[in-house]
Amino acid sequence: MSVSTAPETDRDQSTQAFSAPDIPWDLIVWNDPVNLMSYVSYVFQSYFGYSEAKAAQLMLQVHTEGKSAVAHGSKEKMEAHAVAMHGFGLWATVEKGQRRG
Amino acid sequence: MAKAFTAGRRGITGYLEPAERDLLRKLFADIIVMLEPATPAHEDPLAALIGLDLDVSVPSDPALLRLLPNAVKDDADAALEFRQLTERSLRETKIGALRAASLGLESEKLVLDADAAKLWSMALNDVRLVLAERLEIRDEDDAERVHQVQDWGDADDVESYLSLVYNFVSWLQESLVQAMLAELNSGK
Repeated sequence: MSVSTAPETDRDQSTQAFSAPDIPWDLIVWNDPVNLMSYVSYVFQSYFGYSEAKAAQLMLQVHTEGKSAVAHGSKEKMEAHAVAMHGFGLWATVEKGQRRG
Repeated sequence: MAKAFTAGRRGITGYLEPAERDLLRKLFADIIVMLEPATPAHEDPLAALIGLDLDVSVPSDPALLRLLPNAVKDDADAALEFRQLTERSLRETKIGALRAASLGLESEKLVLDADAAKLWSMALNDVRLVLAERLEIRDEDDAERVHQVQDWGDADDVESYLSLVYNFVSWLQESLVQAMLAELNSGK
């Protein structure tokens, strides 16, 4: 049986931490010698809605450093992004980010 | 010879010779066969509904693994669990793009809107990933070695033939993506 109670007015402010923008999960895109630089830029622009400049910067980071964290957010969202990247043929993994709350 | 894709008022247009269409049709069909799941959708209706596939395992063919990579690094259990939830729909996405591109080959003139162009670029990319695995392209030096093979007169073994096919598909994809980027950034 459930008992109806008055709405809780004294909300715990600490829940704010969970919705902060830096929830610590990253989407990592890995370099490979096959995917075209233009195609990677296209995917970053068309899928994530990044500007031409931001897409180019992330693409070059993948190319020169071997990988780049191209998106950050909740685990579920990063997993959905990873599947989308695999659909495009880019290799992406999901991992807990470095920035711990 | 094929003509590079170009962006214009009516969308992205390209031209392929009949022999080139036949080649692409075969490549798309080969990869569709690779991607078709070995087992039918799970018989448990609830599992089928949510796309859960407990029979799934990490592909033993490295080319198939490249198409369906692990989404979690250095954690086989987490990667497999992710695969059980997502691999079947990823296979379907890829097969859908390959079928759409293959169907597009039937029309005389290739005229692609943004969605069709996206499916084409995905299909061409998967073809390149599989060919690259067969050609053992692991780093930039390998890519350069394959890139050097440019003369169809030299196609006297499987590797040089596959290299020429890879270079043709790469050229086609690059021209398509350039046209797509031109459309994307034309302020539409």
